[in-house]
Formats: sequence, structure tokens, C-alpha cells
Amino acid sequence: MDDLTFRRTVYADPFTKEMAVIDAAKNDPKKQAFWDEVKAMEMSIEQALDVSVPENLADKLLLRQSIAEHSEQKQKRPWYIAMAASIALAALVTVGMLTQAPSGIAMDALAHVEHVEMESQKYGLVDLQDVNAKLANYNGSINQKIGEIVSANYCYLSSIKSLHLIVKGQEGLMSLFVLPNNITDDVDSSFSNDEHSGTSFLLESARIIVVGENDGEVNDFSAKAKQFMQFSA
Amino acid sequence: MSGNNFETASVSTDMMTKQRRYEALVKALHADIFRYAVWLIKDRTIAEDVVQETFLRAWKSLDSLQDEAAAKSWLITILRRENARRFERKQFDLVDIDDVSVADPKATDASDTQQRDLRRAIAQLADDYREPLVLQVIMGFSGDEIAAQLDLNKNTVMTRLFRARSQLKEIMTNNSTIGAQING
Repeated sequence: MDDLTFRRTVYADPFTKEMAVIDAAKNDPKKQAFWDEVKAMEMSIEQALDVSVPENLADKLLLRQSIAEHSEQKQKRPWYIAMAASIALAALVTVGMLTQAPSGIAMDALAHVEHVEMESQKYGLVDLQDVNAKLANYNGSINQKIGEIVSANYCYLSSIKSLHLIVKGQEGLMSLFVLPNNITDDVDSSFSNDEHSGTSFLLESARIIVVGENDGEVNDFSAKAKQFMQFSA
Repeated sequence: MSGNNFETASVSTDMMTKQRRYEALVKALHADIFRYAVWLIKDRTIAEDVVQETFLRAWKSLDSLQDEAAAKSWLITILRRENARRFERKQFDLVDIDDVSVADPKATDASDTQQRDLRRAIAQLADDYREPLVLQVIMGFSGDEIAAQLDLNKNTVMTRLFRARSQLKEIMTNNSTIGAQING
């Protein structure tokens, strides 16, 4: 087997079982060395491609399916099936959330906040100018007095692109989401789960959602946000 | 499931079976499908949305999946269609490469620099080269299976795989020389 064919074959499939390739490597140490190198690189490629998967993704997929199924069954099936599905869903939701279920956007906000610790370590300090550049997309601006911003990234809440700011609060990390209000459904003015509570309010054209570990901090930080963030209509 | 009404019992049994199949499908394949989506779309958040849509659609047409062995390629076909639909719906903002959240939030070690470079290099590959590579490495597809999935002939697939790896090799070699110059 000539050199070029050999290289092409092992590059196309580093773990090829082709006898011609195996024989060629056996008879030529140079070819064997090249193959070993490709295999080593392949291990790195495998590791690089192996990105982490959100921990609760499987649960989310199952929950979403059961909700979709529920609304579909309601239209098609007789009442007793609909009722059984309702009971099953109610049980699932009760077990899943334990507290009352916040709306879609609020729920997504709470889900995002689960990862703030990790997010905040990922990037290090954030430049205020960058934050303001991103906020400009929502016709807004922010003053440094808000506190130390440790992360400013776009994320999707109920498929609406929002800006997620993570700011160091007095006790823990505070999350603030900015969404364009004209395409945002109503969000409860207060919501919570076991670990976090949140509030939502309007600043001109922007809907602001603040999430933190307790009500007191959320209220304090909301007051700061109203003071140090500005949005035009 | 021993109801007096046979019809009810059989309807619920069908639903239970479908539900169990779906749960098994989600558990077995959601991770690989998500990884595939991340590399196809190059944005974790959008990838998660598309995976959600994919599995919802899979649930709706689960009865059409006869052969569990074909489940992977069936899901990938749905996912690629859902992804294409995303572009029909609206033109998304172009994501610039530094903002790409392919990056693993857990990878913070300094020893991961090389891996980060490699990830960036993979993200830079042309879609035509990256996709067969991802199907081969993450999904464990053979050349023939990739060819069938992407509707290409096998020779084209093997050439693209070869080019994908040789480009990666080239980018990584250049990176390490540039890196050495900067660091040194």
C-alpha cells in the first residue's frame, strides 16, 4: 500500500480494521508510527467532542412530552382518559416541583440560576463597557454602582433571547435577566422554588427578572436595579 | 391494568408501552443527541431548544419507529430537519466565535487549554467536514451509515473525514507554534 493511500485511510478512520492497512503498518515502522500518532490525536478529538450535557436534560424532555401529551389527549380522548392524564400530570408536577409551578419564563429563569456558581467561575471579571454594549440591544444601560458584575451572557428563556447578568450581592450571587417586554408573556411578580426566589417588574420597554436566594436580597437588589439601570421606552 | 372495560385497558396499555419506549429512548440517546446538536449548531442554548423540539416530534411519531437499532439515525434525521426549520422561521443573529458556548462549563483547568484550542478548531471546520466527523466519533457511525444519513456516497464521506482530520492537525500544529512564540 502506498504512503498516500495509507495516510488517507487511517485519517478517514483511525480505528480501521482493513487488513491491507494493518499489514502495511506491520511491514513499515514509519507507517506504524504515523498511525499511532493519528490514534493519539483521535483520543484528544474524542475528548474535545465530548461536551457536557445539562444534568436535568432527560427530565426536561420527559416533562415536556408529558405536558404536550396532556394537551393533545384532552382534545382527542374521552373524558375519563383525559382525567387520568390530568391526575398523572398533577402528580408528576407536584412531585417534580413540590411548590406551585411558576410560569414558563420564571421557571426557565429559576433553571438558569441553578448554574450561576459555575457560570460565574467560567469567565472572571466582566467589563462594564461590554455589559453596556449588550444592554444596548435592549435600549438599556447600567451604572457601576449596581455592584460587581461577574457574568453577562445571552440566554434563552422560553425561547426569548435575554441577557443574564450575574452580580455579587451581599450574601450570594444575584441573577438579573433582561427581556424585551413587547414579546414577553406576563411573568408573576413573585415566584420561587426550594432554593431561589424571584421577582419581575418593568423598566420602560424592558422586563426585568431578579432571582436570588432569599426574598430580602431579591427586594434589595431589585431596588438597586431600578436605581442604577436605565431603559428608554 | 385489570379494568372492567377492555377497551380502556388496551388504550392505556398502548399508552404505557409507548411511554416506556419513549423514556428508554430519552435515557439512552439524549446525551449523544445533545452533543451532536451542540456541534451542529455551535450554541449550547439553541442546541438544547432544538433537542427539545426533536424529542417532542419523536414522541409524536414514535409509532413510525419500527426498529430500535435505527433510533439514532432516526433522531438525527428529525434533528437536522428541526434545525433547518429554525433557519426558515427566522434568520438568527450570527454567533461570533468567542461567544460560542460549545465550551464545557466544567472545564476550567489550565490543562484544558489544548482541549479548548481543539474545540475551537473543530468549531472552525466547515460544516461539511465537521458533521461526518461528529457522526463518526460521537455516534459511532460507520462510513456507510454516515453516507446514508447525509445522503452522500461513501467515497465522499471518507474524503471529508480525511480532510477534517488533516485540517485539525494543521490548525493544531500552527496553534502550538504560535502559542510557543507568544508564550516564549
